[in-house]
Amino acid sequence: MTRTLLVATLAALASLSPALAQTPKPEDQLKLRKAAYSLMGYTFGSLDAMASGKRPMNKEEATRNAELLAQLATIPKGFFGEGTDKGETRAKPEIWTNRADFDQKMDRMVKETGQLAQAARSGDAATLKKAVQDVDAACAACHDDYRVKRRG
Amino acid sequence: MSAPVPAAAWDLPTRAFHWALAVLVVFSFTTGKIGGPWLEWHMKSGYAILALLLFRVAWGFAGPANARFTAFVRGPVAALGHARELIARRVTAKAGHTPLGGWMVLAMLVVLALQAGTGLFTNDESSHEGPLSRMVSNATVDRMSVIHGWNQWVVAAVVGVHVVAIAYYHVVLKANVTRGMVTGPTQVPARAWALLAAAAGAVYYVVVVLPRPA
Repeated sequence: MTRTLLVATLAALASLSPALAQTPKPEDQLKLRKAAYSLMGYTFGSLDAMASGKRPMNKEEATRNAELLAQLATIPKGFFGEGTDKGETRAKPEIWTNRADFDQKMDRMVKETGQLAQAARSGDAATLKKAVQDVDAACAACHDDYRVKRRG
Repeated sequence: MSAPVPAAAWDLPTRAFHWALAVLVVFSFTTGKIGGPWLEWHMKSGYAILALLLFRVAWGFAGPANARFTAFVRGPVAALGHARELIARRVTAKAGHTPLGGWMVLAMLVVLALQAGTGLFTNDESSHEGPLSRMVSNATVDRMSVIHGWNQWVVAAVVGVHVVAIAYYHVVLKANVTRGMVTGPTQVPARAWALLAAAAGAVYYVVVVLPRPA
C-alpha cells in the first residue's frame, strides 16, 4: 500500500518535471533558432575563409567547424512552430503558408552541410570549396524566399 | 541638318577610362546579381572602379581642355537651353561635353562613387563583406548594404539615360557621337600614368592596408 502510494506520487511528480523536454514556448523557439543561425554563420564563415584561400587550409579545424555546422543545421527546423512568426524576427509569413517548400529547403541545408562535413574530412581544398559553395547556395535559396530583406 | 561629329574630342586616357568603366560597371552589376562566389570578382571590380573614379576626378583638373570640369560643368540655364536645342533638333557641332552631357558626367561620377564607396562597408549576410566592414558597427554595415542595394538601380537608371541620349544622337540627330569616344589622339601624357598609379595606390591603401589589424 505504502509502496503503491510512493510509486503513484513519484509518477505524478515525474509528469510535472519534463517541462524542458516539451516544445519551448514561441519566444524561446525564436531565441533558439537565432542562436543556431548565429553559430552557423560563424562556423560557415571560417570554412568559407579557408575555401577561398583567405586562411590556410587546416583539415582538423575545417572538420571541427563543418561537423558542428552540420549539427547546428538540424536545429532551426524544429523552432519555427506556431506563434513564432511574431516578435523580433525576419522570418516571412510565407514560411507558414508554404511549409512544404520551406521544409524542403531546410532539408537541403541539412544535406549540403552534411556533405560539407564529409568534404572537410577529406582535407581536399577543391572538394571543400565546392561543398562550401553548395551550402552557400542552399542558404541563399531559403533566405531569398523566406527572410525579410534588411532595412538600414 | 548638319551632323555634329566632335572629331578628336577625347584624349586617350579619357577614352580608355570611359570604356574600362563601362565594362566594369556592367560586370559589377552582373556579378552582384549572381552573387555567391562571384562576389569575389564583384568586389575586385568595385576596387578597380574606385581607382578609375579617382583618376577621372584628378583628370578633371589635370587633363587636357575637353576633359576638365571647368570646360564642361555649366549652369542649369545652359543645360536647359541645350535641352531645348536637342528637342528642336538644332544642335550645333562642338567638340567636348555638351552642357547636359556635363551634368551626365557629374551624375555618373557621383552615383558610382556612392556605389563603390558604400560597397566597402557592406556584407551579404553570408560569407562576403567589404574590406572596411569590420571597422564599423553592424548597424552601419546594414545601412551601407541597403544603400548599396537600392543605389544599384540609380546607377542603372543613370546608365540608361546616358545610353538613350547617345541613341537619340545617333538615330534622331544622325550624329555619330560614339566615334569621338573611340578614335582620337593616341598619345598618353606621363602624368596620366602617374595619376592612375596614385589612384590605384590610394585604393590599395583603403582596401588592403587600412583594414589590416594592428
